[in-house]
Amino acid sequence: MGCIITMTTWQKLHADPQLWQRYVIREHVLHAIREFFDRQDFHEVETPLLIANPPAESYLDVFETKLLDRNRNGKHAYLSTSPEVPLKKLMVAGLGNCYALTKSFRNMEMQSSLHNPEFTILEWYRVGADYKEIMSDCESLLLYIREYIVKKQKKPGDTSPTLTYQNTVVDLSAPWEKLTMVEAFKKWAGIDFVQFLEMEKAKEIAVKKGYTVSADTSWEELYNQIFLNEVEPHLGRGKPTILYEFPGSMAALARRKQSDPRFAERFEFYIEGLELGDCYSELTDWREQQSRFENELKELKRSGKTMYDYDHDFIEALKIGLPDCSGIAIGVDRLVMLFADVKTIQETLLFPANELFENA
Amino acid sequence: MATITTANFKKGNFIEFRNEPNQIVDFQFVNPGKGSAFVRAKLKSLKTGKVIEFTYKSGETVEELPILTREMQYLYKEGDSYVFMDNFSYEQFNISEGLLEGFIKYLKPNDTYQVLVYGEDAVGVRFPKKVWLTVTEADEGVKGNTASGATKTVVVETGAVITVPLFIKEGDKIGIDPETGAYLERG
Repeated sequence: MGCIITMTTWQKLHADPQLWQRYVIREHVLHAIREFFDRQDFHEVETPLLIANPPAESYLDVFETKLLDRNRNGKHAYLSTSPEVPLKKLMVAGLGNCYALTKSFRNMEMQSSLHNPEFTILEWYRVGADYKEIMSDCESLLLYIREYIVKKQKKPGDTSPTLTYQNTVVDLSAPWEKLTMVEAFKKWAGIDFVQFLEMEKAKEIAVKKGYTVSADTSWEELYNQIFLNEVEPHLGRGKPTILYEFPGSMAALARRKQSDPRFAERFEFYIEGLELGDCYSELTDWREQQSRFENELKELKRSGKTMYDYDHDFIEALKIGLPDCSGIAIGVDRLVMLFADVKTIQETLLFPANELFENA
Repeated sequence: MATITTANFKKGNFIEFRNEPNQIVDFQFVNPGKGSAFVRAKLKSLKTGKVIEFTYKSGETVEELPILTREMQYLYKEGDSYVFMDNFSYEQFNISEGLLEGFIKYLKPNDTYQVLVYGEDAVGVRFPKKVWLTVTEADEGVKGNTASGATKTVVVETGAVITVPLFIKEGDKIGIDPETGAYLERG
C-alpha cells in the first residue's frame, strides 16, 4: 500500500523539516505554562504516575500493572488517571497554591482524534479561591501562552489577542462568554433545564425531540446526548465559552452551590467546540467524599470495569482538613492542538499511541 | 432491513436516520467525562448530499439499508450530476456531485464502476482498491536529487494531482488508491 499512510511521525519529520514547527509549539506551550505559574509563586510538584489506589471514578478505565518484590510476589499497581489526589494531600499538608504538569493515563481511549491513552495534564489549585477566580486564571493563562508563542516566533507586531484555528479567528481577550448550564440548554436546545432535571420530564423532552428512549436509558445518557448533539457544537465559536453550574448529579469532586444545591460549582471551558478544562470548587467534606467514592466503586463493579480499592489515605487527609480551594484540570495536548492549528491530538504528539500500537 | 448497533458501525455503511437514507462518512467514540459512552457519526444524506453530525448512545440500534451494487459505465457530466449506464439493462442513472465527492477526480468516461443502488436511485460508487490513470503533465525530476523518498506532483488524465516518485514521466500509467489519493505503482 502507499508508503505515505504508514510513515511514523519521526519519518515524516525526517522527510519534511517544516513539520517541526508544530512540535516546537508544544515546547512553547509547556514553557509558557511554567513561567505563568512561577511568576505567581505557585509550587510545581511532581506527583506519582505509578499508584496503588486510584481515586474511584467509574467513568474512567485505569491501566493495571503489577509491582513485584524480589520473590516475584505481586501487588496490584495502577497508572495515575490525574494528579488531583496527591496535590490535595499536599495542600492538606500546607503547601499552598500549587500545580502539576504531568502525564496521566486513561484506558479504552484509542479510537478518537481527541484522546491519546497517555496524555499531558495541567492541574492547578488556588487556596481560598472559588471557581470564579479559576475562570480568570484560564483567561489570563491562554493570553499568556499566546504572547509567549508570538515572542518566541519573533512577531512583535502581532498584538491582537487572537488565535486562528482551522480558519476561524478566536478572540481570547477577557471576559470570555459565560453561560450557566440552564442558559446554555435554553439558548441552544430550547429546553427548560430545571424541568429537564426530573427523569420523567427529561424522557418526555427527549422523545419529543426524536431521540431513542428505552427502559434502561439513564438521565445522564439523555442529558449527554442532547448536550453533545445540540449544545456542545455551538460552544467557544469565535470566543471561548465558560459553561458553569453543572447539575448536582454530575458534581464529581465539586462542592454543591449553597444557594441552590441542585447545582454544583463546576465549570468547563470550550474553544471552537473543543473541551479544554474542567474546574471545581473542591469538595472538602470527607463524609460526602467517602460516600461518593463508595458509590463509584459500586458503579465500577456494575459496569464490569477494572476494579480497585479507592485511596483511603485521601479520606484521612480530608479528615484533617483540605483548605477551601478551587482547581482545574486542563488537557495540554488539546491546548497544543489549538495553538498549532491541527485537527487531531495525534498531530501534536511525537509518538502517538496509534503508531506505537499499530492495529490496536 | 437489518438492525445494527453502533458497535457495528463502519465507514461507508448505509443507514436510516430520521426516516431518510444516509451514509456513515466517519464516526468516533466520545466519552463525555461522566458515565456512558457515545458514538458521534458524520452522516451524509443520500437525498441532498448534505453532511450532518449526530451523536448516538453507545449500543443504540439503527436500521441498515439494503444497498445493491450494479456494474455501470460512466458516460458524462450533466449539470451537477454524473450519468452512468447499467451495462446489462442500459438503464441510465444520475448521481449527484455531493454523493461522489472524493471520487469525481478519478472518474474516466467509458470506464466501468461498481455503482451503489438504493431502491430506484444510484447513490454512489464503491471505491475500487486501485484506479489506473495516465499521467498527462509531469515535470522532469530535479537533477541530482537522489535522496530516497523524494517526490514530485503530477497531473493525471482526469485532472487529479498525485504525489509520485521522481521517475514517473508523462504518458506513464499509474495505479492510485482513490480512498487516500496515494500513488501505488507504475503500470
